Amino acid sequence: MTWETVIGLEIHAQLSTKSKLFSGGSTEFGAESNTHVDLIDMGLPGVLPVANKEAFYKAIRFGLATGAEINQVSSFDRKNYFYPDLPKGYQITQMTKPIIEKGSIKIFADDSEKVINITRAHLEEDAGKSIHDLFEGETGVDLNRAGTPLLEIVSEPEISNAKEAVAYFKAVRQLVTFLDICDGNMAQGSMRCDVNVSIKKSGDKELGTRAELKNINSFKFIEKAINYEIDRQIRVIESGDSVVQETRLYDSEKNETRSMRSKEEANDYRYFPCPDLLPVVISDKELQEIKESLPELPEEKEHRYISDVGLDESEAKIISSSKTMANMFEEASTKTNDAKLVAKWLVGDVSALLNKDNIDIEESNLSPENFGKLIERISDSTISGKIAKSVLEEVWESGSDVDEIVETKGLVQIQDESILVEIAKKVVESNPDQVTAYKGGKDKLFSFFVGQVMKETQGKANPKSVNEILKKILN
Amino acid sequence: MDKKTVTTISYLSRLKIDEEKEEKITNDLENIIKFVDQLNDIDTSDIEPLTNPLEKTAKTRDDIVTADNLKKELLEIAPSSNEDYFLVPRVVE
Amino acid sequence: MISHKEISNKELVKEVYKLINENSHLNAFITLNEDSSLKKAENFDNNPSDSSLAGIPIAQKDLFCTKNLRTTCGSKILDNFIPPYSATVIDNLEKAGCISIGKTNMDEFAMGSSNETSYFGNVHNPWGENLVPGGSSGGSASAIAAGIVPAASGTDTGGSIRQPASLCGITGLKPTYGRVSRWGMIAFASSLDQAGPMARTAEDCALLLNEMCSHDIKDTTSLDENIPNFEDALNQSLKGKKIGVVKDLDLASLDNNVVEVYENSLKEFVSLGAELVDISLPNLSLSVPTYYVVAPAECSSNLSRFDGVKFGRRSQNPKDLEELYIQTRSEGFGDEVKRRILIGSYVLSAGYYDAYYKKAQQVRRLIKKDFDEAFSDVDVIMTPTTRGAAFEMGSKGSDPIQMYLEDLFTISANLAGLPAMSLPNGNIDNKPIGLQIIGNFLDESSILNFAHMYQTKTNWHMLTPEGVIK
Repeated sequence: MTWETVIGLEIHAQLSTKSKLFSGGSTEFGAESNTHVDLIDMGLPGVLPVANKEAFYKAIRFGLATGAEINQVSSFDRKNYFYPDLPKGYQITQMTKPIIEKGSIKIFADDSEKVINITRAHLEEDAGKSIHDLFEGETGVDLNRAGTPLLEIVSEPEISNAKEAVAYFKAVRQLVTFLDICDGNMAQGSMRCDVNVSIKKSGDKELGTRAELKNINSFKFIEKAINYEIDRQIRVIESGDSVVQETRLYDSEKNETRSMRSKEEANDYRYFPCPDLLPVVISDKELQEIKESLPELPEEKEHRYISDVGLDESEAKIISSSKTMANMFEEASTKTNDAKLVAKWLVGDVSALLNKDNIDIEESNLSPENFGKLIERISDSTISGKIAKSVLEEVWESGSDVDEIVETKGLVQIQDESILVEIAKKVVESNPDQVTAYKGGKDKLFSFFVGQVMKETQGKANPKSVNEILKKILN
Repeated sequence: MDKKTVTTISYLSRLKIDEEKEEKITNDLENIIKFVDQLNDIDTSDIEPLTNPLEKTAKTRDDIVTADNLKKELLEIAPSSNEDYFLVPRVVE
Repeated sequence: MISHKEISNKELVKEVYKLINENSHLNAFITLNEDSSLKKAENFDNNPSDSSLAGIPIAQKDLFCTKNLRTTCGSKILDNFIPPYSATVIDNLEKAGCISIGKTNMDEFAMGSSNETSYFGNVHNPWGENLVPGGSSGGSASAIAAGIVPAASGTDTGGSIRQPASLCGITGLKPTYGRVSRWGMIAFASSLDQAGPMARTAEDCALLLNEMCSHDIKDTTSLDENIPNFEDALNQSLKGKKIGVVKDLDLASLDNNVVEVYENSLKEFVSLGAELVDISLPNLSLSVPTYYVVAPAECSSNLSRFDGVKFGRRSQNPKDLEELYIQTRSEGFGDEVKRRILIGSYVLSAGYYDAYYKKAQQVRRLIKKDFDEAFSDVDVIMTPTTRGAAFEMGSKGSDPIQMYLEDLFTISANLAGLPAMSLPNGNIDNKPIGLQIIGNFLDESSILNFAHMYQTKTNWHMLTPEGVIK
């Protein structure tokens, strides 16, 4: 019996507008509870929603970047249910006419490329937060988040396994951060996803009953939850039962999914068009302006790095995949002639430091100007590559200027051939045994002499020159 | 409009009908539905539903923060709150 | 009276509170605003203002949020609600100088046609001991009819300004949907609700309407159209103007008296120079069932926010969240409100949406189309406002549909979003009754014109229970 898995993802991305979808309340994260709550966010009697056009612009950017159909006339519906963090007792969403329809995203999983189609993406307001653990027998409600704009992105059920699901989520995250429509901060809840999982026998046309895994917000947990759920469903069917269509929560501690407590009747949301919100129209002119303001996307960057800058494929891929890396690369490259060297160091030494400290490049002390300068100093032979490593470490700690460090520490590479020749001669003369051994055939000893010269010069000798000079002297 | 339907829509609306009023409410609702059923005699194929009598589109707002910090006033008018949160009986997920 | 310095602003306000006290049996008010009103009046005495309504005492229907002044919507669930903000309409009127005397009693959440559903008790019609004043703006109508205040704000979703105006013998106007901002108006049915002026005369209504109307960016359903000075058109000649008389009106079901009064008014207009034109509104009879799908649907959603969590009343000691919701709402809402919420949830629920809600919205478009076509031939349309004069409290029995049919003539204007007014046009057994004038989209001016000219030639609007006022 071979089973096939069918997975669809519903991703909720918080749009990075300053104010909420229907009110002037601030969307800033981390504020003191209930300080960013406007009268409208509260759902007070008599208040009315007014749409934030920036949210539409951001949604449209997503649509354009995924080749989707843009509905320039958007209407809104009410989804009715009761929950403490839903102040009005309904959520304003787009059921019948979403702003974005269709579109697709390329993903890379298991070394192969796959296109995942998007069914729709629509705007809706986020709910507040219910805090369950602070008080005995009570739940606290913080409405700061209520009304924040969300873009709900629904994929076609074309994902076949957990790895693809993670790849898809990553691809969406990369895209929304590049487009500057969502900050992609998973820890802060800027992106959450619900996963629909079902299984069917290979070859079966009909899809199996699906379970919805709710509100998972880490790549690791998505993978684990899906794999657990697939196993669970297989066990259920093989034992003769059928999978129940239900919502399940993933428990990361126990690594299992369990059914959410909710009554069947509670699921009738009674959607109907929101009578307070007339349709919002985005004009052709606005659409054109949005098109023109789209930033360069990862794939475009990658191609450009390869064809225009001459990077190799793997470097290009790595740098273009992260907005902050790409920014660092592009800005630093304006400060030096050697963009390829910038890339090499970025992918190599800098990435190693980032991993060690577990930070993003934006959080480091390395500014693009300084980085560019560092590379330029290597390129113009002011310092050797080896010295540059220690300079980089210094900059990493202190953020000090590259030239200042080189000057203060006297790290300038010794270029003057006559000095090097003198030192090399001295080294050769002080090590007669090694000279004999070398001339006798022990070629590996050459590096001994190089090492000695470097030691004498405190690493400041230009390695290339040292090699040439020693070769002349010893041969 | 049977008892089960009334129970379902009551729950959806978070309303409880007193037992002694149950029969009357069920009858009332049934009569009202019968009354509005006459709409089904009309042919409305190809008619676009009218949600709002204004046939126009919405004005939108610019993305600026205009709200003040209303924490104190809002928590004050709440039936149950502490200095930071609105409070409800503990919710179990 | 004030401008002629017969009486100071403060004395006038004091007089109003005295009258409220003397007429407490009417139960027209829920909350009074005495200190603040006296202060404002005194201020006007010390610093005379030339704002158009300076010092005029106005009663405000308790459906409008008034900052720091209790706002109940006639409901137990809001009987302790102090809004932190005021409705735009309130702000507009107060900026024009009005003094908000207090909040008037009303049917709970504006659902009713007799002011018998208020948590704060029935309002009485000054015209008779046990007579209903009409609803839902019963308190406002009663207060004006009793001579307590010269004017009041009302709201109209299916006839709630016009019907009480008719039963109390005063003038009331529901403007075009979108003329008056709904910001701060506690929502019943969002696509039908509209605030409007109630007063003795059409002229006073025009004065008030001038101040009430505004384009409000906080309400996206608020119109951004030119607002004329509604006084300008009052005295225009009616010669050659056309009045639509609806062929499909089921006048046969009405009392003879009512039909007679109605036909006499039409004759009066003809003598003023207007012409009568037969028009057809073929789908008019469907307006009540349409309304009783659309309005409950919208209200079932609008009233979900009353859950005991953030404001208003909460039930005592709920054992869990479900109990909090169910008990709070069941204790806090009256029977009519519950009925409408249940109907609303039903017509929106899966499986019934297409047959009821969608269907009703389609019929609504047909009703609107009927009016659009009719108005290509006429300037205004006239009908009786109500099927009869004020009825006894409790006389509509326990069948809700009997009450719903009270709104037979008024509902269609709300469905189509058109302006409509009721003005007194007769007296049956010492009870007033009204004529309804419906106008085209944005054409309050024509309505006010017809009404005013009628009021220069007749004095039905000057009748009070005590006799004709001067």
